[in-house]
Amino acid sequence: MNVEAMAKKLLARAKKKGAQQAEVFIETGREASVRVRDGEIQDLTQATSKGVGIRAFVKNRLGFAWTSDFTPSVLESFVDRAVALAEASAPNPLNGLPDRALLKGHPDVGALYDPEVANLRPEWKIEAALAMEKAGKAVDRRIKTFESVGAGESVSEVYLASSEGFAGGYSGTYVYAYAVPVAAEGEQLQTSYWTDTKRFFKDLDDPEGIGQEAARRALRMLGASKVKSQKVPVVFDPMMAASFVGIIAGAANGDSVFKKSSFLAGKLGATIAPKHVTIVDDGLLPRGVATSPFDGEGVPTRKTPLVQQGVLEAYLYDAFTARKAKAKSTGNAARGYRTLPHIGTNNLYLEAGERSPESIIKDIPSGLYVTAMLGHGANLVTGEFSRGANGMWIENGQLTRPVQEVTVAGHLLDMLQKLDAVGNDLTFRGSTAAPTIRFSELTVSGA
Amino acid sequence: MARSQTPPAARHTPLLPLPLVERLLSIGMARGADFAEVYVERNTSTAVTLDEQKVKSAQSGLSQGVGVRVIAGAKVGYAYSDDLDPEALERAAKTASFIASGGGSDKSFSVAPVPKPTFYRLPTHLEDVAVADKRELVVRVSKAAHAYDKRVKQVMSTYADSTKRVLVANTNGLLSEDTQDLCRISAHVVAEGKKGERRSGTYGGGGRVPFSHFDVFTPELVAREAARQAIATLGAVDTQAGQQTVVLAPGWSGILLHEAVGHGLEADFIRKGTSLFTGKLGQKVASEHVTVIDDGTMANARGSLNVDDEGAPTEFKVLIEKGVLKGYLTDALNAKLMGTRSTGSGRRESFKHLPLPRMTNTYLAPGQHDPEEILKSVDSGVYCANFGGGQVDITNGNFVFEVNEAYEIRKGKLGKPLKGATLIGVGPEALKKVSMVGNDPLPDPGMGTCGKDGQSVPVGVGLPTVRIDDMTVGGTRVGGGK
Repeated sequence: MNVEAMAKKLLARAKKKGAQQAEVFIETGREASVRVRDGEIQDLTQATSKGVGIRAFVKNRLGFAWTSDFTPSVLESFVDRAVALAEASAPNPLNGLPDRALLKGHPDVGALYDPEVANLRPEWKIEAALAMEKAGKAVDRRIKTFESVGAGESVSEVYLASSEGFAGGYSGTYVYAYAVPVAAEGEQLQTSYWTDTKRFFKDLDDPEGIGQEAARRALRMLGASKVKSQKVPVVFDPMMAASFVGIIAGAANGDSVFKKSSFLAGKLGATIAPKHVTIVDDGLLPRGVATSPFDGEGVPTRKTPLVQQGVLEAYLYDAFTARKAKAKSTGNAARGYRTLPHIGTNNLYLEAGERSPESIIKDIPSGLYVTAMLGHGANLVTGEFSRGANGMWIENGQLTRPVQEVTVAGHLLDMLQKLDAVGNDLTFRGSTAAPTIRFSELTVSGA
Repeated sequence: MARSQTPPAARHTPLLPLPLVERLLSIGMARGADFAEVYVERNTSTAVTLDEQKVKSAQSGLSQGVGVRVIAGAKVGYAYSDDLDPEALERAAKTASFIASGGGSDKSFSVAPVPKPTFYRLPTHLEDVAVADKRELVVRVSKAAHAYDKRVKQVMSTYADSTKRVLVANTNGLLSEDTQDLCRISAHVVAEGKKGERRSGTYGGGGRVPFSHFDVFTPELVAREAARQAIATLGAVDTQAGQQTVVLAPGWSGILLHEAVGHGLEADFIRKGTSLFTGKLGQKVASEHVTVIDDGTMANARGSLNVDDEGAPTEFKVLIEKGVLKGYLTDALNAKLMGTRSTGSGRRESFKHLPLPRMTNTYLAPGQHDPEEILKSVDSGVYCANFGGGQVDITNGNFVFEVNEAYEIRKGKLGKPLKGATLIGVGPEALKKVSMVGNDPLPDPGMGTCGKDGQSVPVGVGLPTVRIDDMTVGGTRVGGGK
């Protein structure tokens, strides 16, 4: 199938049917994945998929239709449907595709496609998953089973064309492996997970190492119990720190800020954290999982420091919200063929600091090291943060015993101010990453 | 509950020609597998969203495809395609067949429709309702929410529906077809109080209901409830951290039951031994006040299905009776591997996914107590009026809930609203601490979606007023007495 020719046809039809502006977003791809259990394949999945989303603007009204059926007559009927749906929306002068000037100057982001991933032997994922399972079980006999252990790869192609003269596409690859072991002792079961996702096969962690790390994390939770409610220093391991950074970026969503539905509204230019805190959204990160030449509307991606040395420097925008807020698109329109563009993050990270994770823990007389969290737990409107937490109790600078069934709570603005240590252990295992971080004091709720 | 039967010979065109379906089954079995299944889906959906008092967009989509599942022993091969071309589908069936290592079989299979009950039948499918009527709902939500109180500053509203047609056929000769309509309206309201304090409220509902449902469950009712929550929580104070007695309001609070116990009773976790409820059949796992039911046959409910996504009829299942564990939720594969039968709990998000044992509508049976009496019985505690999201770790049983609308309880009466409250516990332990169950059972309004293994499916929950002793409440205030 020729996506260029198809897009051209659909755009022409949209114009003919009365759309002043139209845009076609096409995704095609294939994927394969496996999960194993007790040395055997549990399930093996293979698939091809495709879909197209059509945005039509009629007199400043927006209609959107999508389909996975590429039969010519169906495609035409969906263009017509997008135009008809626009009639049902309200007119808004801010509606429309990004201005032509915004759709230029696409950066060279390097390779996104790894032929080695695209041509992986089908057996690789099975061998990788089996190796993770075996290595995990070999760590300790209390690793009885796995909730899930698997690997896979995918190849995808994105093509975007609009009536504003934009046309472009790119292909990308992903390869991943994950392990979710279960450790058992007496009546107690504990689990953890470890995973890695990369665009390039050579960047992927060794599967045995993933299985072993997952096993170690589950094992150290055996015997976990709650602690008394108290205010103590709290350390987030890199995985939990990444989820914290994701929450902060969520509050920097330009749309929420514009509507004052974010606790970061009105804080632009303010010092919201200590100097060692720099949070960056980077669409250009070499070999990054979320790297791409343009966002879901064709706007070039870029590197946007959200927090620079403690100062809130930017919010994230797509074209519509930028127009509304009289700001500039930051190239953060996230997209799938079934969804309208909306603000999302690219590669997102907290810059590494100077301190080793050990030294961050070492000067804590009594505190909590968090390795897993439950629940969504953050109210971005009010800034209240409260999540279920599992981890290790810190006593005299050492990790001592496992803790579960507690929550950690605070106010996100206060937490940012109390972020008093940043580790040097930044590693990407997906699109969002952070090093170990410490909060000088949070409320731990338990017994 | 009324059970009417659809005549098996109803005349219509199946989603995929039956000879092709049968050929795909035969290809799937060509390498000597035990079982093959074809799942065909055609799903049309519509959504209208309103933001900042304007209808932001109207959208509509079509997703269709076929998944072929082949089982050999405990191994599963799966391939799906959104291309309905016979050649592409035959390729998918062949790909799935490779999970078996034998060869040489060209046995043919035939399928025939089985009668099924109907728990939802709509006079007009939702895909045939005019978009203008759907738009009207969100416009009315916005107006009513703003009219509720001057302090309402932001209103977002969405109407979303889908009409999903499915066909399931397998090598046991089963052929099952169903049309599943589903709709929901929702409102998210932000109110502003003194000193720029902002609070939000969320409400909504629907189900497998005709569009006329919104004549009764009106947009105004939805708007007012969301606005009420936002306004009521203005001026909320910090929550005391630590163990406290909690009272759950009826209805949507049932999500706690769904997380704390429901997931742990799903057969995949049981078979793998990764659930805390493994091997506990017949044992006491909850207080005697606790009877938990999963019912896929409730008329027009969001979680109901005429047949599950493997073609098996859904059931009314007692999972826990007076505290004793009575049964698990099983799909066909786990049932077979565990030597039991399917409870009609095999569900999948779409043709792109393998079926998993899942809940449908899960609720706590009513008890003896008057809700007033339950509240009066608490000297000091937390009243959970509305929950946000929740999550459970099946393996260690830890669950957590954000409480969007909470109040302190002082001497049997509601006090100040609380902010940032969270409940956390271990499923089986929390169930043992259920000390009072109200006589006011209430299903949720039809707004739940459950995620598992990356698959989202609509579910229902329900609960009467419930008192739980000694729950860990997460908050920011420490000390100052219990």
